[in-house]
Amino acid sequence: MSTVTADWSAAPATPWRERLKNPAWLLVPAAGFLAFIYLLPLFDLVRIAMSGATPWVYFERVFAVPLYWDALVRTMQISFTVAFLCLLFGYPTALLIHRSRGITQMLIATAIILPYFIAILIRTYAWMVLLGRNGPINKFLQWLGILSEPAQLLFNRGSVLLGMTAVLLPLMVLSIYSSVSRLDPGLTRAAQASGAGPIATFWRVLLPLTAPGMGAGFLLVFVTALGFFITPTLLGGPGDMMFAMHITQQADFVSSEGFLQALAVVLLAITLVVVAVAGRFLGFEFIWGGGKLNETHAKPQTDDTATSTTVTERRTIGMTIADTIGWPILRLLSALPGWTGTLTVRLMGGFVIATLIVPIIVVMIISFSKASFLTFPPPGWSFRWYEKFLTDSQWISAFTSSLTIAVISSAMAVTLGGLAAMGIVRSRIKGKTILMLLLVSPVIVPPVVLGLSLYSLFLQFDLVGTIGGLAAAHAIGGIPIVVVIVAAALQGVDPKLEQAASVHGASPITVFRTVTLPAIAPGLAAAAFFAFLHSFDELVLSLFLSSANLQTLPLRLWADVNYQLNPVLAVVSTLEVLLVVGGIILARPVLARSRAA
Amino acid sequence: MNHQSRSRLLLAGIASAVIGTTALSPAWAQENEVVMQDPGGAYGEALREVMYDPFTEETGIKVVTVQEARSGPRIKAQVEAGRTEWDQVFIFDQETKLLGDCCLEKIDYSKLDESAQKTLATMPDNLKRPNGVALQVIGIGLSYNTDKFSGDNVPQSWADFWNTEKFPGNRCLPAWPRFVFEAALMADGVAKEDLYPVDMDRALKKIAEIKPHVSKWWTTAAQAPQLLLDGEADMCMAYTGRINSLVINEGAPVDLNWNQGFVYYDFFSIPKGAPHMENSLKLLSWRLDAERAAELTTQYPVALPSPLVFEAADPDVSRLWANNPENLKKAVEWSPDFWGAQSQDGRSTNEEYGQEKLNALLAQ
Repeated sequence: MSTVTADWSAAPATPWRERLKNPAWLLVPAAGFLAFIYLLPLFDLVRIAMSGATPWVYFERVFAVPLYWDALVRTMQISFTVAFLCLLFGYPTALLIHRSRGITQMLIATAIILPYFIAILIRTYAWMVLLGRNGPINKFLQWLGILSEPAQLLFNRGSVLLGMTAVLLPLMVLSIYSSVSRLDPGLTRAAQASGAGPIATFWRVLLPLTAPGMGAGFLLVFVTALGFFITPTLLGGPGDMMFAMHITQQADFVSSEGFLQALAVVLLAITLVVVAVAGRFLGFEFIWGGGKLNETHAKPQTDDTATSTTVTERRTIGMTIADTIGWPILRLLSALPGWTGTLTVRLMGGFVIATLIVPIIVVMIISFSKASFLTFPPPGWSFRWYEKFLTDSQWISAFTSSLTIAVISSAMAVTLGGLAAMGIVRSRIKGKTILMLLLVSPVIVPPVVLGLSLYSLFLQFDLVGTIGGLAAAHAIGGIPIVVVIVAAALQGVDPKLEQAASVHGASPITVFRTVTLPAIAPGLAAAAFFAFLHSFDELVLSLFLSSANLQTLPLRLWADVNYQLNPVLAVVSTLEVLLVVGGIILARPVLARSRAA
Repeated sequence: MNHQSRSRLLLAGIASAVIGTTALSPAWAQENEVVMQDPGGAYGEALREVMYDPFTEETGIKVVTVQEARSGPRIKAQVEAGRTEWDQVFIFDQETKLLGDCCLEKIDYSKLDESAQKTLATMPDNLKRPNGVALQVIGIGLSYNTDKFSGDNVPQSWADFWNTEKFPGNRCLPAWPRFVFEAALMADGVAKEDLYPVDMDRALKKIAEIKPHVSKWWTTAAQAPQLLLDGEADMCMAYTGRINSLVINEGAPVDLNWNQGFVYYDFFSIPKGAPHMENSLKLLSWRLDAERAAELTTQYPVALPSPLVFEAADPDVSRLWANNPENLKKAVEWSPDFWGAQSQDGRSTNEEYGQEKLNALLAQ
């Protein structure tokens, strides 16, 4: 309450004061931007889907043809399996990061974070190389004598699950790690001091306390997997058609307008329903990584209580199950010597890290191959593919376009998202959760749906194939990244410092410039870097929105993966890895400072 | 002063961010260029080298290419929104009819230059339609890895392709109903004259037989040869152009059999409202020149369907053309009309209907 008095007493100074007191207007630019380029096209999509003879005619076809229904079921199954596998392997990995120290911790964390920022397309391509008939896995198994001739490892359900799990694992690990790292280490020590063995400590303390992080990670992976398109297209066989792939396939037919949009609307609706149900139980905060907003003042209290009651209810049911089934099993397990637990964590964590890093290394090696097709180990070494990349004007212009677009897009996202974050953290308006949900929701909308809906908007406003248009489209996904990071950084700034400054007569702009900005600068820099990478890696929206004159790097890669698989792709992948590593090294001091703050 | 300039900077930043998204009009509309759909891969490279670069040198018109396997739906969306960005596209036979009224410009043949007129004069009328001219003859045939099958032990027909006992090994097929349904029917004993209308249920039943042996159902032209080279498949239904270019240019261990292959034409059209209409016609003239068209086939054996081009070509190259009379004799007369026609349930074209059926089968 003292905050209110402080503001009140200082109020009459300047009109700026009024605005600082109610910084909700800072949300306007981002809201306007998203309303125009994000919500409007989605509504239009629904309109077109319902523009048939009767509003439901296209939807009837979606559900009348078993093909699409089967694809829906299959998509759910694949997504669920992938989320489960990610949880199974992600949890030990998060623990491993948490438990290791110093240089080891940094290396493991990098092994997780690095792939997270490398384009999905590139990581999928790496798996194509790895699992190929002449790839290292086949070669290795033959060398061991397990296989007499190369096995068909690609183009089946297994390779889809493996590829998707590998691609989405970092997301899971980071979600779980954020809840593990918030854990009070005193709790586990207290449990052990009270006589609980390591297994009991894990079961009764660690697991329940990290359950929200697990739930959040599971749902994020599940929802992202629902809209997946790149990985199953490249790694799957015909029996692995996911729903998003049907949408892109239908986009190839002249006469499918309306029906095409209906497919997209169905995918969108399912995603939203899953998120809504999950949000009901977990709180919608899971989307932006743990209930950080809860910790701030002036937040609608209603859903807080709702969350806590559901949590207690679930805990009681959970406890009964745990005690009747889980506990006896764990008792049996506890007969094993104590080091097995540590070993399990290390083995699984090590396996995960290998899964994430080995493909990248293999691709880097293959980029120096002499052969014109993919074979490992390379029959000879050369720089010919580097030469080809550097002398090919199309690759170079794709690279510069991507760079330009990503810089503009990052600037847009940081401006709009940064203002919005300040608006949401510093204002006292109602419905913050809903606003935050709107700002962050682009993360959960399947890119295929977004791309399809944007295409008609872009045609109307002559934005197809413009640098500004593509940058704006990429900023839709950049804004959530910026909002989350900057909001977290802002919450680290003690409002009392700002109040102290203004009490002593500083104008709001001066307060912002001298107090707030320096404190959130590391966060802003990190946000800008991540928004840049988001745009630089973006493929699916660009597939719909680019034109002849504007080829981005991921688009060129995609065309080449589909039209001629050759080591130029490996060259580009290697360069992207170097870019990300360089970026992370440059950003590390900044990030470290922001963590300290 | 200081904070004022900063806030102005901030405002300018926001303004430019907002304006930037709406006011950046496409700069390409005024430039001296022509935007051309491109098949990509080795064919794309051959086109660039033999056709586009010399064209740019001669006329100063830059040729901008877009890799796109299929342009029909995009043309429709662009034209309907009044924002055409392509100047020349290649479409399927049936699409010259499906898209003819809504989306394609009438080609003013009188504006083409002399050498193009000469070539056109030798082409049958059906290949020079008001809104599209057949510029490439496309062949699809049975191709195989010669390390695996050679001598007398080579597949001769789709029945052989389906015979996995006599010819063990992985197969690859396109993930489309067109060509695959016809091949399945021939493998099932239907004569090539009796293929149409396609008995889809019978075809699907036959496809179910080969399905366990298909390692990949491909979707773009370059995939099949790649799968053969990588060893992911030993026998494929593939575009003849790429297979032959591998044979000519790289001596790769692949070959193909023309028997029961498919031959069809890609039509080159100008979408309505194309931004560089004049340049598009110039490029069309350029490509219709018989000498140049023949030269292109030395790099990539996809030919222009005119006897004039055939005469100009090296017989050693033209023996690989889909429209070589020798090859045509063995091939199937493929019916684009059937696939473009309304399907039995009236909801879509036969092609879409067949695609749904095929997808359902493949998904099992």
